[in-house]
Amino acid sequence: MARLAYGLAALVAVGAAALGLHGMFGGAFTLRVGWLVPLGGLQLTLDPLAGFFLLVIAVGVAPASVYAIGSAGGARRGLGAYLVFVVSMCLVPLAANMMTFAIAWELMSLASYLLVLHERESRESLRAGWVYAVMTHAGLACLLAGMMLLGAWTGSSEFADWRAAAPGLGGGARSVAFVLLALGFAGKAGVIPLHVWLPLAHPAAPSHVSALMSGVMIKLGVYGLLRASFDWLGAGPPWWGVAVLIVGAVSSVIGVLYALVEHDLKKLLAFHSIENIGIILIGIGAGLLYQGAGLEALALLGVVAALYHTLNHAAFKALLFLGAGAVVHATGTRNIEEMGGLIKRMPWTAACFLVGSAAISALPPLNGFVSEWLTFLALLQNTHLARPSLSLAFALGIAGLALTGGLAMACFVKAFGITFLALPRSEAAARAHEAPPSMRIAMVLLAVTCVALGLGPTWVVPALATVAGALLGNTTPVAFGDWLTLRVSDGFATGSALAIAAALGVALVALPLGLRVAGASRRRRAYETWGCGRIGQTARMEYTATAFANPFKRVFDFLYRPTKKLDIDFHPESRFFVERIEYENPTRSIFDDWLYRPVLDGLSGVARAARAIQSGSANLYLAYILAVLLIMLVLA
Amino acid sequence: MLRQLWTALRTGIVTEPPARVSDLERVGERLAAEITRAFGRSLHIRQVDAGSPNCCEIEISGLTGPHYDLERFGLHFVASPRHADCLLVTGPVTRNMAEPLRRTWEATPDPKLVIAVGDCGRDGGLFRGSYAVAGGVADVIPVDAVIPGCPPSPAALLAGLLDAIRRRR
Repeated sequence: MARLAYGLAALVAVGAAALGLHGMFGGAFTLRVGWLVPLGGLQLTLDPLAGFFLLVIAVGVAPASVYAIGSAGGARRGLGAYLVFVVSMCLVPLAANMMTFAIAWELMSLASYLLVLHERESRESLRAGWVYAVMTHAGLACLLAGMMLLGAWTGSSEFADWRAAAPGLGGGARSVAFVLLALGFAGKAGVIPLHVWLPLAHPAAPSHVSALMSGVMIKLGVYGLLRASFDWLGAGPPWWGVAVLIVGAVSSVIGVLYALVEHDLKKLLAFHSIENIGIILIGIGAGLLYQGAGLEALALLGVVAALYHTLNHAAFKALLFLGAGAVVHATGTRNIEEMGGLIKRMPWTAACFLVGSAAISALPPLNGFVSEWLTFLALLQNTHLARPSLSLAFALGIAGLALTGGLAMACFVKAFGITFLALPRSEAAARAHEAPPSMRIAMVLLAVTCVALGLGPTWVVPALATVAGALLGNTTPVAFGDWLTLRVSDGFATGSALAIAAALGVALVALPLGLRVAGASRRRRAYETWGCGRIGQTARMEYTATAFANPFKRVFDFLYRPTKKLDIDFHPESRFFVERIEYENPTRSIFDDWLYRPVLDGLSGVARAARAIQSGSANLYLAYILAVLLIMLVLA
Repeated sequence: MLRQLWTALRTGIVTEPPARVSDLERVGERLAAEITRAFGRSLHIRQVDAGSPNCCEIEISGLTGPHYDLERFGLHFVASPRHADCLLVTGPVTRNMAEPLRRTWEATPDPKLVIAVGDCGRDGGLFRGSYAVAGGVADVIPVDAVIPGCPPSPAALLAGLLDAIRRRR
């Protein structure tokens, strides 16, 4: 039963991929079923952008479903929700009117809410589900408000009509619609400061669902933002682009900084999703600014970079979540301080996780490198803008992206090193076992996708350029070099992923060969790891994730605001004998303390005040009725 | 404060040129040449205190001061035997330090140079025969050279290092 359902989901993904590719290369259709849905009927339209996002969904869903066959092990809980989740995600990019979109969007949110409550026995899951439900519905409220306003102003609920009528709307009206829609979509995408649900909800769900939520679902927020800003509303004033760019830069830096001090493997990955959404938004922001300034080729480059990173992130984040799921499955904990040494026990998972880590750290020749490189190229050409004040936003974007790249690398050195290397830090890690075949197949599939996307930008970029061109209404073909070399902006920069890969491969062979030719000694002597000469080395002497993250905690303590708690029990006879030491150094979230806490406190304060008239006494309520009646009579 | 300033100005420079600098320079230059010949560039030293009463340590740390400044001759003290070419072992080897010393020696990559420093390092010196002492350095690991003295002066250490490296050829 469970196998059948997950197999079905994988088939849906294959269908979505085929449909998506068809749509990306010009295939288009519209499906209308008037009676199915009120207010305009069900209406689905395939266009290049929808096709691209269908492909992104397929890249996540197919391996996640294969993985689930092994990891769920026949458990039936969440099967229906999973299927609804997959199908509704596929419907979101296809929806072509307000009602269809709202229903698909809400189905997706509700299905994922149920999946977050997978372990509904635990308090943590319940809290995650509650925060997720509140945040996603606050976003939905913004979305619906924006869409209804657009609907009222244009007199139609069909997206095609909005597209046609948007240029006729006033600047203020378009900006109001943009802000509402962007808030709604940004909430789903997990943009800072609307990200609070993400690090709670993603770890609570089972791993194949986390992979989908992180790899695919939040991308639909990106889809919505692209759709709303470029398609429905057309190019807007520069501050739209500046806002998106700066929010993207802030999200990427803060997301990765929080990931650095996080030692829950799945939470760490969730924070990295915030970071990568930020990188995608940087590309979109650059595209918006260039589009507003009339620089169409550069706008195209920005959007292509964003789309490429969207696809890449779907691949490597799904891979990392599946890998994390395999590790959690094997060790029974999400805390990386209790892992270690897993590379010997789970070589397949470790190899796949390493590929994902290198990809997310933007190392060549993997896919993250290509898309971040393209984003840099889009940002670096800001001198073409006539207004130098806008270049400031670009400078922030460049600096933010550079800092993010370095920190992401540090974070994955930690995540991979502490999880997979050295000695096992706990009994459970020592007893870990390799994941079953279906889980391994899913991870290998995604790892191969990452490598392929990294090696083949000369094929991927032109395809994405047609998608972006259709979105921007820019039909002039843009040349991107030949099969070997990617040429961007008429030779502003050239790069060849294949050549880099070949050079790395040659270096890998040449280095040992050269050493041998140069006459280096090949004698080997195996001896235990250096442990300061101690007798009896244990895993407790290993480098910990906390120790690794501590320098960052110190440098960025204005963000983390760590609180230190040291509790020592001495022997009653002498202070020189310590019986127990407890050390805690947790970080506090700025956003919880300064943004959400005051709002929630205010809300509960208002609720408490309102309780004064809600005494529960029937007599009092009768008196209220009388009073209202009298007032009505007087007023009438 | 003005008086202080006036005194300072009136006194002028009173530091003396170091005595016998030329000897030190000569030893140093030869040491640098020998190191280049034997090791290519520089010699990385891991100092191991195997139970020394710390007099040798004080003399060794004198080497890194401005007067001797051994880094200019291509000698470096490193923090791990993994980075070292040479172990500079001081003190009588106490029973508790015998095994760590053996492990340190194992952890040092070949080819390596082991130099026992001080009379204690040579044969246990003052502490020979104590119930807590395993003996000299040579009783625990193979020793290439000994720099005697109680403690040997920094100049003697440099000369001893030079001698040890020369004898290796």
